[in-house]
Amino acid sequence: MSQGGVPGRDDIVAMIASLDGRSAQDVPDLIESMELAWLVHQVEQRYGVRLELDSGQYGRMTTISGAADVLREVIVMPDEHSRY
Amino acid sequence: MVVERQTRLAAAGLRTGGSLALRLPPSPAYIANLLAGWRIGAQVILLDHRLTAFEVDTALQRLAPQVVVEPGRITSSPLRVFADVEETVTPHPGRPAATAHAVIQLSSGSTGPSKVIGRTVADLVAEIDRYTRIDGVPLPGERIVVLASMVHVLGLVGALLYGLHARVQIRPPERLTGDSVLEAVAAEPTPATVLGVPFHIGLLASVLDPPVLPQLKRMTTGGELVPVATATAFVEKYRVPLGNMWGMTEVGVIATDLFGEHRPALAPAHGLTVVERGGELLVSRPESPYVGSSDPDRWADGWLRTRDAGEVDQDTGLVTIKGRLDSQVSVGGLKVDLTEVEATLGELPGVVAAVVLHDDVITAYVQLDRPATATTVQAGLTERLAAYKRPRRLRVLDAMPRTTTGKLVRDRSVLREAASAGR
Repeated sequence: MSQGGVPGRDDIVAMIASLDGRSAQDVPDLIESMELAWLVHQVEQRYGVRLELDSGQYGRMTTISGAADVLREVIVMPDEHSRY
Repeated sequence: MVVERQTRLAAAGLRTGGSLALRLPPSPAYIANLLAGWRIGAQVILLDHRLTAFEVDTALQRLAPQVVVEPGRITSSPLRVFADVEETVTPHPGRPAATAHAVIQLSSGSTGPSKVIGRTVADLVAEIDRYTRIDGVPLPGERIVVLASMVHVLGLVGALLYGLHARVQIRPPERLTGDSVLEAVAAEPTPATVLGVPFHIGLLASVLDPPVLPQLKRMTTGGELVPVATATAFVEKYRVPLGNMWGMTEVGVIATDLFGEHRPALAPAHGLTVVERGGELLVSRPESPYVGSSDPDRWADGWLRTRDAGEVDQDTGLVTIKGRLDSQVSVGGLKVDLTEVEATLGELPGVVAAVVLHDDVITAYVQLDRPATATTVQAGLTERLAAYKRPRRLRVLDAMPRTTTGKLVRDRSVLREAASAGR
């Protein structure tokens, strides 16, 4: 069942690592598109949300910290998000 | 939709026997322009939308199309599998098609520049015919939920052309998520086949509590070997066959196992012969698929070297692929030649030496001279290589490990150790 809340940095690294069973320390900081698709899919499964990302938000998810920032904005503050 | 594109392409100068370069993301516009180009009787060059401007320019100079279709404005969210794209149609200083091939594709070259691959109409029709004879393919009135790229042969022929011929509905899921794929399957009661690459199996296998979908007939993937654990997880969760396919851009589909009965082995398709020579699999092909240059190292005397290592069972004729014999790796089904990546690195200013290998992800080790830094190298790679080809890890070493004769060491543990020791 979904865990609720917002994924932090460690959660994001773990989700990306789960794509191919890598260990967390082998996950590079840069996220490429297949990993990003996997991350979006995993976030939706585990956190019970549906992510709607515009190209600006998507474009910022190229690093782990960028992804953490965007997910924090999009998941925690749905009212703010709907302004964009 | 197609007629409108025909008008536009013709207005840009495309005629029968002309040449069109088509570079669009997966979209209705891509399909419409492809069909329009063929209706005009032009040769269509398919370029992956992820290529950088640098790579596109190189391709356009080499292939000299007369009209170029590229993405202008994309109005859909980047999470959509099919984009809403307004294409630009531009005349280009090129020349008419030099050969009778209906479609031109580029493949990663194992050594040197990428190969230009041509498929004639007869060739494509023969492949569609091959599909119709495979046990387990979608039947008329059924559906394909398509995840495979239609710029590459699995989606182009296995979904689009086969689907048009056999009256199978082709539909992408809305988004690239497991839930979205299942929604697409659930959207209608007719049997649906999900067609993609092994990455997509993972999406479905990791959906928590999927609904029961009696209309899910099977999932089939090509492009890469499927890890046993992935196949098992999918089949246990969905209780439908996970089909397997093997093919090449040069040939299309070569062998299949759509019921997953022989995994990892596959049965050669009708009309093709597969043999093993020196550990390498060869497939019969009457003519060379390569345009512009013959490569006797790859195709000779009616046989195409696949560069896949494997075996053919003498009794059953089943083919088992063991791995790759060259420097090509598969990233999400897309082929990347590590030698190309390494050569690109070596051309960047300040790169003294580089080794690129696959260590879970594409990893580059470099030795640099001022003023090159990891940052300048990344910027150079971003300009010259599509994202899926770029190293995911870049390690700068003070000095590349070398053998006693001065050759670069390519052993991953030696390089890993050098990187962590800060050498």
